[in-house]
Amino acid sequence: MKFLQVLAAIAVLGSMSVAASGGNRVAPTLSLPDRDGATISLQSLKGKVVLVDIWASWCIPCRAAFPAYDSLYRQYRDQGFEVLAINVDETRSAADRFLSGREFQMRVLFDPAGVAPTGFNVRAMPTSYLVDKQGAIRFSHEGFTDKALPQYRREVEQLIQEAR
Amino acid sequence: MTTTGRLMAVLAMLALGAASTACATVQPWQRGRLANRCMQFSPDPALTAFAGHWQESREGAAGGLGLQGGGCGCK
Amino acid sequence: MAASRVLLVGVLATVLAVAVVVFLDGTQPKAQDIQAESVGVMFHTFVDSRGVTVLSPTVDFGKDFTNRTGLRVGFGVDAISAASDSCARCHQEGATNTRAYLNGSLIKTYGDTKVSVGGEYSRENFYQATTLSTSITRSLNQANTTVAGGYSFSWNRPQLHPDTIVEKQSSQTAYATMTQTLSKSTIAQLGYELGHVTGYQSNPFLRTSVDHIKMVGVHPDVRTRHALTARLRQALPGATYLEADFRRYLDDWQVHANTWSAGLSHEFGPKLTLSGIYRRHAQQGAYFYEPAYTGSPQYYTADFRIFPFDSNLFTGRMILTPSDGLMMFPAGSSLTAQYEFYKSTTDFESAIFTIGVRMPLRRP
Repeated sequence: MKFLQVLAAIAVLGSMSVAASGGNRVAPTLSLPDRDGATISLQSLKGKVVLVDIWASWCIPCRAAFPAYDSLYRQYRDQGFEVLAINVDETRSAADRFLSGREFQMRVLFDPAGVAPTGFNVRAMPTSYLVDKQGAIRFSHEGFTDKALPQYRREVEQLIQEAR
Repeated sequence: MTTTGRLMAVLAMLALGAASTACATVQPWQRGRLANRCMQFSPDPALTAFAGHWQESREGAAGGLGLQGGGCGCK
Repeated sequence: MAASRVLLVGVLATVLAVAVVVFLDGTQPKAQDIQAESVGVMFHTFVDSRGVTVLSPTVDFGKDFTNRTGLRVGFGVDAISAASDSCARCHQEGATNTRAYLNGSLIKTYGDTKVSVGGEYSRENFYQATTLSTSITRSLNQANTTVAGGYSFSWNRPQLHPDTIVEKQSSQTAYATMTQTLSKSTIAQLGYELGHVTGYQSNPFLRTSVDHIKMVGVHPDVRTRHALTARLRQALPGATYLEADFRRYLDDWQVHANTWSAGLSHEFGPKLTLSGIYRRHAQQGAYFYEPAYTGSPQYYTADFRIFPFDSNLFTGRMILTPSDGLMMFPAGSSLTAQYEFYKSTTDFESAIFTIGVRMPLRRP
């Protein structure tokens, strides 16, 4: 697990701050384990629209955002939309306590070393990023409110249309 | 303001200045322990207010309770 | 009689609080800070060696209506029973007093800045106080630094019982604080508070001896106060947390005081936290304090609050947060139980017991 995290860190450092076409930043290379221990990489989802959510169990607005992002995933998953909810709790048990008893279908990945937020240059918790089919970061949101959900849907639909 | 008061105010300003320049930056995703209830200065304002109320009714000193800051720093 | 009235108020407050939670649970959550969206009900019992008993139910309520606007409301009742010698000279059976207060504040968020405007009104038998306040808080450096400031103004109306004369008093307070994250497990805060009180500041209930004649005390009608505070919170290994606070207080009555406290909290799993805190307060007496007076002093006092003394306060606290809720209260509710014992070198002792429930307005 630690070896994979080190590899991920090297990959992230190698791919940081590369500008893509149109001036959008390319999403950093990420490979992180999910709940079953399988390694999921952001790059393997190229061709899909991906919402990357950086969250933690101790972050109150992150907890509010969690079901909202899952409902977005359920609404658009059949149209080539993915959600990677990347948990950055330093202890896995804290994340597991939050997740137990909750029903969700989106992918949850674990990043206790903080590789993903470093690669994305996160400046506040929570922060979410919408990555397009080509792997470029097109939209980002700091914080979360339910009032912003219609805007999230518009952005996802825009990127899905482009993906087609 | 008395001389002692002025001195304390100056010391406070110096300490504030020193504190702001000599600290590591904790990244937003590293604030898990800082977000814990036990790390708040006043985790239950109602409890703090009651304590301030009865202490000020028994002691000559007052103040220093209405202070903000800390926590998870979430948006 | 006062105790049963207070108990009734407390029960009504609890029912009202649960009703608020049930009603608002169905509303669309809009806020970012769920922790601030809660209802808290507390019962405090204060008993001291001067014969004063206070039963005090309080309710506080916090709701965020949008991501930028929040409301905080609190109210409480103190039912005070006093059997001290100053009351007993007229009220051999003891005296009762009820103090009620209502406070509220509106909070607006603009990016990294929060502004609040609020006020409080309190009334008891022989005292009325109205306060308006405002504060501003700004986060800097990715929330590693927080600066805050505030100002409040109070109009107070003490009545010179048993006289019907109502005096005037006004008080202004300003404060500034800076909170700094020092590491992933350390946070510190420095603060300064300046207060200025003008008007009637004597205590009409307490009498001192002036040339062997018992007289109500006379205090100066201006008082300027300074409080400098330093606070630290340190996360230790093994779910243990250290808290340490210090306050240096100075005023122009020369009631200079040092107050420091230190405590430890430990989490026994996610549901139970136990804390133990010790507080030491040491103050000088006012420059016009004397055990007894002779001649024609300009100022004289029997107000024990401005005598020289030291005190110790011992606090034990338990916070229980079951994962599936607390009896009829929703998931995320917490129960707080606290016991405090206070003893001063003036042979004054008091015991304070608090029990309370805090309920979130939506699932955390």
